[in-house]
Amino acid sequence: MKYLVLVKQVPDTSLIRVDVNGNIIRTGVPSMLDPFSESAMRLANRMKKDGDVVVAVTMGPPQAGSALRRCFEIGADECYLLSDRDFAGADTFATSRTLVAFINRHCSDYDMILAGTLASDGGTSQVPAQISQMLDIRFISNVIKIDGSKAIQDMDSEYISVELPERCVMSVSLTMTDPFIPSIKGFLDSVDREMITLGRVDLGLGAYSVGTKGSKTHIVKVTVPTHKRDCRIIDKDPKAVAEHLKGVLDVQL
Amino acid sequence: MRSFSPVEGSPYLTDESKMTGSADMVYFPENEEDIIEVLGKCDILTISSMRTGVCGGCVPNGGSVLSMEKMNSIVGIGVDENGEFIRCLPAVTVNQIDSFLLSKQYDNIEEITPGAKEHFRNRDLFCPVDPTEMNGSIGGNVATNASGPRTFRYGPTRNRVRGLRVILSDGTLIDIKRGDHVAKNGILRIADRDVILPTYDFRKGIKNATGLMTSEDLDAVDLFIGSEGILGVITRVDVYLIPRYDLVSTIVFFPTDEDAYGFVKDIVSHKEMIEFLEFFDSGSVDLIRSCRKRDPLFVPIPEFPMEHCSAVFFDMANSNVHEKFGIISDLAQLHGSDISKSWCAHEARDRKELFAFRHSVPRAIFDYVASIKGKNPGMHKMGTDMSVPLDNLDEMVAYYHKVLKEHDLEYVMFGHIGNGHLHVEIILKDMDDMQRARHAYSLFAGKAMELGGSPSAEHGIGKIKNEYIEMMYGEKGVEEIRKVKSILDPQWKLNPGNMVVR
Repeated sequence: MKYLVLVKQVPDTSLIRVDVNGNIIRTGVPSMLDPFSESAMRLANRMKKDGDVVVAVTMGPPQAGSALRRCFEIGADECYLLSDRDFAGADTFATSRTLVAFINRHCSDYDMILAGTLASDGGTSQVPAQISQMLDIRFISNVIKIDGSKAIQDMDSEYISVELPERCVMSVSLTMTDPFIPSIKGFLDSVDREMITLGRVDLGLGAYSVGTKGSKTHIVKVTVPTHKRDCRIIDKDPKAVAEHLKGVLDVQL
Repeated sequence: MRSFSPVEGSPYLTDESKMTGSADMVYFPENEEDIIEVLGKCDILTISSMRTGVCGGCVPNGGSVLSMEKMNSIVGIGVDENGEFIRCLPAVTVNQIDSFLLSKQYDNIEEITPGAKEHFRNRDLFCPVDPTEMNGSIGGNVATNASGPRTFRYGPTRNRVRGLRVILSDGTLIDIKRGDHVAKNGILRIADRDVILPTYDFRKGIKNATGLMTSEDLDAVDLFIGSEGILGVITRVDVYLIPRYDLVSTIVFFPTDEDAYGFVKDIVSHKEMIEFLEFFDSGSVDLIRSCRKRDPLFVPIPEFPMEHCSAVFFDMANSNVHEKFGIISDLAQLHGSDISKSWCAHEARDRKELFAFRHSVPRAIFDYVASIKGKNPGMHKMGTDMSVPLDNLDEMVAYYHKVLKEHDLEYVMFGHIGNGHLHVEIILKDMDDMQRARHAYSLFAGKAMELGGSPSAEHGIGKIKNEYIEMMYGEKGVEEIRKVKSILDPQWKLNPGNMVVR
C-alpha cells in the first residue's frame, strides 16, 4: 500500500492573532504542522504495515520544510515540498490543481490519499474534496479511525461506518491521540533525511494554472460577522411564558 | 490620579507568598509627576505592580500602596555599542515585550537612537530577562533582580539592564546609565550624596538575591537592581535584547539522580551551546507519573520512556544539531542514559509539551498536598531557594538527603541545576513536620553559605527572609545596608520591612 498524506504548515494555532482587517498575522508567529495534518499523518502511520510506504507532500514556502521534518519524525518514508514563487496566492482550486499535478506526475501509484478535514488557518475544507473530484475517486470526509476494512466518520450527531474502496481521498478529523515527541535519535534522523523540492516546471504546469493567476476566487475583503442580539423580557405567569416561548421557538425552528 | 482605600481581602494587600498586610490608600500614578506628588504626601509607601513576588516584597506594612500598574507602556527603542535595547515603563510585563517584538509595530514609540526603527524591523529580537513568571513586571524584575531558567546562559535581570530612572523618596529624579556613575573606593556619589557601600562579599560568582549588591567600584545601576524598592521608585528601565533564534528542547532521562548530576557536571563545560539546564529527581518524575495515572490529561506528554528515572531538561539553538547532539549523546550514554529513550522537540507545539511537563511539577506537588489535606488539615509545603557553586552541588545534595532523612520528611527536588540551584519541596503533613522542616531549612541555609552559596538565590528577601541577611553578612552587613538606606531614604519611607528593618 502507498499512502499519500497532504499536509500544511500553519502558524502556531494557539498564538494566532487577527489584524484589524481580519487577516491572520503571520509575522513572528512560530509555524507548525497543522494539527489536522498531524492527525492524518498519524493515521497513515498507524495503518502502515511492513512494505507499505507513506509519502507526505506540502505546498508552501521553503520554511514549510520544517513541517515535513515533523512528518519524517512521525514516520513518513518520503517527503515532497512543492515550492515556487509562482504558487503564491493560490486559492483552494489552484492549490488542488497543483497537488493533483504532483500526484499524477510523481505519485500516481498511490492507494489512499489522506488530508486534514480542514486547515487551522484557512478552514475551507475544500482541497480534499476538490482533489477527489479531479482524480475521479471516492471522497470520505471526517474520518476519525480505521476499523479493519472500514472507515469511521464522525458526522457530529452520529458515527458512520463505510467500507473502504480500493482508492479514495480521506479527510481526517482531529483525534485524541497520545502526544508524540521524537527521541534525539528520531530528531537527528529526520534532519538527515532528504526531502525533494519541486517547482512549477517540475509539475508540468503553466504559470497561468497556479498561484494567484490560476485562482478562480480572490479575496476582496475579510470582515468579522456581527450578530445582533437583543433581550426581551416576558413578564407573564409561568404558563403564559411557556406558551409564548413555544410560539417563538416554533417560528424559529 | 486614581486612588482608593483597600478593604480586607483586597489583592493590593497580598502577593504570591499569601502574606497579607494593611494600607490606608492605594495610588495609581500615571507618570513621574504623580509619583512625586504621592511621595510628598505619604510617610510610608510600599511599591507594587503585578504582585507576583513570593516573599511579600510588595505587601504593605501600613501606610499607602504605590501601584505602578498604569505605567505599562513600552516607550522607545534604540541601538548602542552594546546592541539593541527597549525602553519600558515599570509595569510592562515580559510577555508584553515578547509580543511587542514579534509584532514589529514600532509606529507609536520613540526612536531613541536615529535609525532604530529601521534596524529593529530588519531583525528578530527577544528579551532574555526570563523569570518563570512571564506576567511579572519589568520594574519588579529589576527591583528583585529576578532570574529563571535562562539565567544559566544570559545571567539574571541585572545583566540585561542598560539604565534606569529612579525617583528617590524626597522626589529627586535620577537618570542613570550603566557606566556613567561608578563608585570610587566603596563610595558612590548619587544625587549630591555620598553613599557608603557595604563591605561584605556579595558572592557575584553564584546566583544570589540576598541583600544589596556591593563592590569597591559598584555601578549605581547595580545598587538599585535587586534593592527590593528600599532605595527609590523605578520609573523607567532600558533593557538590552538579543537576536531571536529557533530552539530545540530536549529531555534526557537517567536511571538514577546521581547519574543525572554526573551528566550535568560534564555538560556545563559546554555551557555556550545550552540555554538552560533543569533537573527533576526521580521523586518528581514519579509524582507526575502518579498524577497521570489518576488523570491522563494532567499534562499532555507521552508516557515516560523509562521506569523510575530522573530527568534533565535543556534548550539549544536549532543549528549544528549533529555536532551538539553528538556531544550530548556521548555524555548521556557515559552516565547510563539511552538517547533513543529521550524527548527532543523542535516544533512550537511539541516544545510547549515539554514546558508543560516542567510547570506540572510544582502543580503536582500542590495537588498532592491538596489530596492529603483532607486527612491532615495542617498540610502544607515548604520550598527552598538555595544556590551553591556547582562544584559543591554534590555535597549540598548529599546534605539535603541526610538532613531530610534524619528529620523524617517527605520531599522532592527539582530546578535550575545549571546554576547550582535546586528547589527542595518539603511536603508537610502536620504541625510536627512543619517544626522539623523549619529546623532542616535553617540547617540548609547555613550549609549553603558554608559552601560559598546563597540562602536566597532568586526569590529575594522581602519581608519573610530578613534573617538570612544577617546569617550571610553578619550584624555589620545589616548595619551597612541600613546606612545606605538612611542616606537615600532618610525617613525610611519606602518599602518598610523589605530586606532590613530599621
